[in-house]
Parts: sequence; C-alpha cells; structure tokens
Amino acid sequence: MSTVAPPALRSTAFRQSLVVSGLFVLALLVVNFLFFPPGTVAVVLLSGLYQGMLFFLVAAGMSIVFGLLDVLNLAQGSFFMLGAYAGFAIYAALPEGAPITVRFVTALVGATLFGGLLGAAVEVGLLRPLYSRPIFQIVLTFGLATAINEVVRAIYGPAGLVPITPPAALNTTFTVLGGQFETYRVFIIAVGFMLMVGITLLLQRTRLGIVIRAGVQDREMVEALGINVRRVFTLVFVLGTAVAALGGMTAAPFLGAYPSMGGQFLLTAVIVIVIGGMSSYEGTAIASVLVGLTRATAEQISLQYLNTPVLASVSILVFMVVVLLVRPTGLFGRE
Amino acid sequence: MSAILTIEGIHTFIGQLHILEGVSVEVPANSITVLLGRNGAGKTTTLRSIMGLHPPAQGVIRFRGEVISGKRPYDIAHLGIGFVPDYRAIFRQLTVAENLKIAERRPGDLARKQEFIFSIFPDLRRLYHWPGGQLSGGQQQMLAIARVLVPDNHLLLIDEPSEGLAPVIVEQMMAAIRQLSGQTTVLLVEQNFLVASRLADRYTVIENGQSVHAGLMADLAQDRALITRYLSAA
Amino acid sequence: MRRHLSGSLPGLLALLLFALIPYSLAAVTGQPEEGLSGVARIHSAAESVYCQEGLNPAAVALLVEMGLMLGAVIIGGRRPAADGQRPFFSTDGWHLLAVMALVAIPFVIAWRTDSSVCRRGDAFFWQSIFVDVFILAILAMSYNLMFGFTGVVSFGHAAFFGSGAYLVGLLMLHLQWPWWTAVLAALTTGALIALVKGVVGLRIRGLYFALFTLAFAEIFFLLAGNRILVNLTGAEDGFTFAVPDWLNSTKNRLFFYYLTLVALVFSFWLIRRLVHSPTGRVMAALRDNEARAQMLGYNTFYFKLIAIVLAGVMATGAGVLRGLALKGASPNVLGLDFTINPLLMTIVGGQGTFVGPVVGAFGLHLVEQALRDTVLTIGGLEVNVGERWALILGLVFILSVLVFPYGIVGTWQLKGLHTRAGWRRLLRRSTDLSNRE
Repeated sequence: MSTVAPPALRSTAFRQSLVVSGLFVLALLVVNFLFFPPGTVAVVLLSGLYQGMLFFLVAAGMSIVFGLLDVLNLAQGSFFMLGAYAGFAIYAALPEGAPITVRFVTALVGATLFGGLLGAAVEVGLLRPLYSRPIFQIVLTFGLATAINEVVRAIYGPAGLVPITPPAALNTTFTVLGGQFETYRVFIIAVGFMLMVGITLLLQRTRLGIVIRAGVQDREMVEALGINVRRVFTLVFVLGTAVAALGGMTAAPFLGAYPSMGGQFLLTAVIVIVIGGMSSYEGTAIASVLVGLTRATAEQISLQYLNTPVLASVSILVFMVVVLLVRPTGLFGRE
Repeated sequence: MSAILTIEGIHTFIGQLHILEGVSVEVPANSITVLLGRNGAGKTTTLRSIMGLHPPAQGVIRFRGEVISGKRPYDIAHLGIGFVPDYRAIFRQLTVAENLKIAERRPGDLARKQEFIFSIFPDLRRLYHWPGGQLSGGQQQMLAIARVLVPDNHLLLIDEPSEGLAPVIVEQMMAAIRQLSGQTTVLLVEQNFLVASRLADRYTVIENGQSVHAGLMADLAQDRALITRYLSAA
Repeated sequence: MRRHLSGSLPGLLALLLFALIPYSLAAVTGQPEEGLSGVARIHSAAESVYCQEGLNPAAVALLVEMGLMLGAVIIGGRRPAADGQRPFFSTDGWHLLAVMALVAIPFVIAWRTDSSVCRRGDAFFWQSIFVDVFILAILAMSYNLMFGFTGVVSFGHAAFFGSGAYLVGLLMLHLQWPWWTAVLAALTTGALIALVKGVVGLRIRGLYFALFTLAFAEIFFLLAGNRILVNLTGAEDGFTFAVPDWLNSTKNRLFFYYLTLVALVFSFWLIRRLVHSPTGRVMAALRDNEARAQMLGYNTFYFKLIAIVLAGVMATGAGVLRGLALKGASPNVLGLDFTINPLLMTIVGGQGTFVGPVVGAFGLHLVEQALRDTVLTIGGLEVNVGERWALILGLVFILSVLVFPYGIVGTWQLKGLHTRAGWRRLLRRSTDLSNRE
C-alpha cells in the first residue's frame, strides 16, 4: 500500500497567523514608504531587523524555558547584559598585540560559555527547589535579575563601558538605496539569523529537539517514557541563557555595555513572547522581527515629528496590549 | 506462577486526598491482569503509583524483585515498564514517527521493533509521517500502545484502552493486546467488563481505594453475584 | 462572632479622640507667642510645650494616658471568644499597642536624642522616615487586598500611586484648585482608571492580565517623563507645587505625621471590614479556587473588579499623600520600584494576612534607613549598605521565596497553628490513655 500524502504539519490556525504577520509587515512597509524617502526606508528596515534579532536572542530562551518549565525567566535580560560585560572582560584580558579578530571571537565564545555555566548554576541551585508557582518564580527570577544588575553596577560602576572595536572587516559602512548603514549591524542580523535556523534545526531534526517539543506539550508523559526531564530542563535553561549572553556580546561593539541594558531588553523580550505566543518558538522568531520593525518605524516617525524617540517604546507596548486584549495567547500560541 | 509485579498494601495521597487506602495486587508474568471497579475507585491512581507519578506514602511496590516505589518515573520506565495513560497521551504536534522515536530507550530500538509494531498495527505504516493530532481516536490509541512496544518492556500498564472507541476498533485493540501478552505482561484497567472478561486471565477488584477481591477471570465470569456486588452496572 | 476593636468605628474614633487630650493640656499650660489670637493663639501655646527638647510635659501626659488605655484594653479584652479560649491579649490589643507606640515614637525619639519634634534634629528627621513608611504601608496593604486576598496579580500598581501624586500636584499647580477638591478629584480619577483597567483587562487570564498591567503602567511612566509634556509635568525632573501651611510637611511635620498615621489606621480598618464582610469572603473563595466560586453562582468578574477598584483608590490615596509630603512629583513615582516594593513587602510580610504588608513595609524601609550609612566588610570587600540596598533587596527576594514563602507573619501564624495543634494532640493523647484505663 502506498503512503498517502500526509496532511500539512501545521494547523490552519498557524497558517492564518502567518498570513496576519505577513500582512502586518506589508502594512509597515507601506507606512514606511509613505513617510520616508527610500534611503531612510532601507535604514529603518535594516535597523528593525537587527533590533529584532537582538530581541530574538533574549526572547528565544525565555519562551522555550516557559513552554517546558513553566518558568518565566525574568533574569534573561541580565544574562544578555552579563554577556556584554563578560565579553568586555575577556577582550580586555587578552594581550593587546593579538589580532582583533581573534580577541573578538574569543570574547564571543567566552561570553556564551559564561552565560551557559551561570545559567546551569542558577537552574540547579535556585529553580529546582521551587515548584511551579507563577508569582513566586517570577519574584525569584526578578530578585536574581536585580542582584545581578547590582553586582555589575558595584564592580563596574553605573556608567557604561566604551564600546570595543570590532574586527576591521566589520567596521565599515555601506549605502543602500541612498541610506548609510553600518556593516556591523548586518553582522548582528547574520548571527541572529544563524541562531534562528540553528535552533529550528535542533528542535526539528535532533532527538533532543523531539524531547523538548514533546515536553512542552506533556512533561509527565515524557518522564514516563524514561527520559530524565530534569536534565533536559537544565539543558534548555542553559541554552536560553547562553544564547542571551551571546546576544549581549554580539551587541557590545555597537551598544557598549551598561547596567540598565538588562532591564530594557527584558521588557522588550517579554513583549515579543507575549505577541508571539508564550511557549511557541516559531511565534517568538516571527514576533521578534515584527517588534523590531515596528519599533524602528515608530522611532523614525517619532524623531521626525516629535523630536523625541518616545513612540518607539510606546508603540510596542501598545502592540502588546492590543494582542493581549484580542488574542491573549499570542499570534502563534495555543491553549 | 511467579509474580513479576507485587503491590503490597500501598496508600497514596493526591494532595490532601487519601485516594488509595491499602491496595495489594499480584501480577503474574506473561499474563493479562485487569483492575476492575467502579468509577473513582482508585484504579488509575494505582497505575500511576506504580509508574511513580504519584509515589505511595506507605507500602511497597516490587518489580522483578526490586523495590520501585519511591523511584522517579524515568528510572521506573528504564526497568522495563511501559505506561499508556487513560487520556491518550500522544504528542499531537509530533508525527507518528517522532512519537515512536521518542519512546526509544536505546538507540536502534525503533529500527528493530518497527516491523513487529507494523504487524500488530498495520495502519501505522501508512500514517507514519502524519502529525499525531490528525489521527482518529482509534489510531491515536494504537499509537499510544505502539509507543510502549518500542523499547523492550517487561510490563505494560494500559489504562482504559477501549474508552471512546468504536466496537470494531475495540476488537482490533483486544487482538493486539492478546498478541502482546505472549511476550510481555499486561496490567490493564478496563471499565468495560465485556472487554475485560474476554481479555484478562486474572483480576483484582478495587473499591474505595482498597483491593477487595482477586482471582481468575474464568471464575469471576461465572459468578453473577460477585459481578453485581462489585461492579454494579457490569 | 467576635467584634473586633480595630474593625469597629467607635473604637477607631476613641483612638483619634485620645490624641486631643495631651494637646489640650499643652495648649492650656503653654506660653503662646505675642500678638496672636484665636486658633493660632491656642496652637502657639500648645506648640511651646510640645516643641520643647528632650522629655516634655506633653509627652509625659501622652504616655500616662496611653498607659491607662493599655490597662483598660488588657482588662476589657479578657472576654472569652467564640471557641472558649481566653487569650491574654487579644489581637486587637496588639494592634492598639502598635498604634500607641507609633503615636508616641516622635516624642520618645525626642526624649532619647534630646531634640525637638518641631525643629531640625533627630526626632524631626525620623518623622519623615516614618511618614514614608506609613505611605508605603498603605500602598502595600492596597496591593495585598488585590493580590493576597483576592488573588489578582498585577504588575502595574505604580500607575495608581504615581497618578495620585501627579494629579493632586498638577491640579493644585495648574488649576489652582483647593486641596480638598484636588484630593477628591485624584481619588475619583484613580477609581476610574482602575475601573477601566479592570473592565478591559479582566477578560484575560491571570499571567496575561499581569503583563497587561505592566504595559499599562510602563506607558504611563514613559509619557509622564517625556519631553513633549515638559510644560505640563516637567518631564524627567518632575515638578513642585505649593501646599497650604498646615499641610506643609516641612513646617508642620508633626501634624503631617499624625495625618498619615490616621490614614494608615483608617486603611487598615477599611480592609479589615471588607475582608470580614460577605463580599470579602467571596473574594477569599475566589482566590483559592475560582472555578468553584463560579460554579457556586458568584460573578467572579464583579468581585475581582471591586477588589481592583478599591485597591486602586487606596494606592492612589497613598500617592496623594506622597505628593503632598514631597510637595512635588517626578516620574519615579510611576516607576517599577513602586510596583516591586509593595509586592516584596506583601510577600516578605505575609500575603493574605492583615498586618503582613504593614510588617513588610516597616521592616524593609526602616532597616534600609537604619543601615543607611553602615559599611560591612565581607572577606576583604567593603560594602556600603545604603548604596547597595538594591542588591540586598534582590537577595531578600530570592530568600523570601525559597525560605519564607508565607512571609514573616504568615509563617508565624502557621507555626502558631502547628504549636497549638501539637498541644491539642498531646492533650488528647493523654486523655485517650486515661480513658482506656
């Protein structure tokens, strides 16, 4: 008997949300072209993409951890910040004479490892004793975030660190449609995109990925099948914090490092996962792009007409409120 | 008759509720034993206690001589116990293939068992790449049972396999389970007495969280009085 | 059912009245300034007595009076309760004692530090600290009403607090409204905001509602601090406004102290009354198991809405007091701090209890003030406690969740239950044995 073609792997609801997201992007494009010259539009879009990638790096870990462990890790922003600071420390510790590329890459890898190790310590030491009581684990992770921020502030002071110089190849600018753009931002987009694809492959093609996706649906059954879910929890948590730390270090040559960057990116990450659907990985990926583009567009409009960038933050907050009121489970969430 | 599983006077709490107040069951190897009883008597909780999902507060559960009460579910699974819950716990967002793959305990389990599984549940061959959520109720139940056939399990705990299924599918299910009992032991919970009586070799009746009666199914099937007493609407 | 002193209006009024006795004594025996008449003359006379440094006659009169009241409460409180138990000192007695202590504190500090309650000095300084504590306690209680008693989680409480401060100030500054109109308007607006928030947001489930409130508050914060409104609100620097002399916390700090204390006691009474009322019982049922409450026929939306509106108004009131106390407002009153702090105080103190948030507020804020300038040396590292308070707070967060999930008061109550149950079991066992004989 021949195999009948299987039905689509994704439900109609998923495809509908995909269409909605596409339409939204289209709408943003239209708004952009209406208000700005093509050069600015290109800059805004690229800016939105690079911001979106950074948001993704913080939010991805948050959403998978939430789906699997039922824990909303409010310390993710702090791991992002720690990645930046750790990267700085490693960069500064390496000899001055060494080629910048080597120092840069070592800092990247080192920061990621640091984020992962610290994440492991946190998960095993602090989260394991705690049963899933939403308000308490939120308080716990928030307390952790505060503690981390203050420790960094105590060691490095409240003012930020001067951004480090990236490798020469990335330290250039180029023009797109008449608008000037830094190559480094494209690098950030590339890193984010690679991770997006990488995590998707992990989830879809590896055994660990199957376990994670199954665990998000039914933790208990996965354990009854003989899988040590606790180890999987730690692994997933570590993955989340490591990716966030990588994000921080990747952004460091561009944004620098300052203690309050944790809080800013945390809030945006929360907005992203709410819009995308709190335990949906695809939702997080798509929502981070949507949020990035919205933010960039709003910021440009705000600067042009109000001389202040306030609309950037307000616009994505309003976006989140609208999603919460119309479809609280998010664009791609399921309940 | 050597018992592969013995439950000795267990008490199990779910939160504050005292669900099992002294349950003892003996399950001989290579047989089909069924837990009978009214709704809410504690049959499902007994299975879940064995699996470690609700560890007993008192009493001991032994599997092949080893004490398993108090171990974590994944350790218990690795000793060779497979669990099919009463809510058809297949992973809807995963394909049939992925559902089976995740059940592997040693690499290559699925490759070895694939033909065997397809011989018992031929439909699954055709549905191999379908997402679990798109299968019918009966097919999902078959997948759930197929899943515990992937690793080498010595004991299968199956909770209400016939629930919500059409009679034709139930027949297929029963044939499949009968085929399995030759190589492995089955502990069944079954509300439907007709199915239970035709399938099981032995029975234990659970009433109000206590095991009250046990014996050979052949004897019970003849005893009208017992049936009405313990099972009311049989 | 026991009638609680702290839940009864006569009791409350008695409390307030007794403050007048020392004042009257001081007014009669004091030396007024030259050239004043009427109320100003009386007040000046009283001031000349109680503003003296160190231990002054007014303070003595106060202490004597309180001693008498204490005695009356101890004796009067020995009526048996419904379950036949005879407590030495009823709960109300403890509450009353606490209030008396708070009434006396400015004078006690004045006595111990040989300063005056009216002029710059230790006693004066600590009054403003306590005013802050009282305001935070009211804020924490309002949060507890929503979260501890009704089970509604919100991350946007600062929106009410900040609105209270901003509104009362803006109305008095830009529209020149008299204080009582401004206060009333602020409270009403707070109620309306809460109403809108509740009606719009309660349709969505717990965690999502909490995030909705977070976004809501954050939008307020961003808009208030923004340069586009600089003429109205002063943007990131905030603004200041003038208050009538008698409400001025710098000129008449003692009065302001007692004003906020009265507000605290009143809020406590209000919450006590509400929780013991039929409405309050439904709220508690709602917190424990919303599905069951719905099945019993209660419109849970309505009750949650009531809790949110009341909590919102109370928080706005706290904000109003804060605005008046500082004679100004700046964006930080809308900031996350004033959502996190009441949450922490409620959890550390004990959510779902009456005194929990108050204990939490007192504990955290007073400890922070007391340790402001202490420097700890841990293994070679110098830690200035005042500067690193946020770090300590973060650690307290973590500890309180891991070790004291029920908070100080909650754990105390639970332990109390266990000890009592243990005694009872012990007694029962011995009677059992004697029966078997």
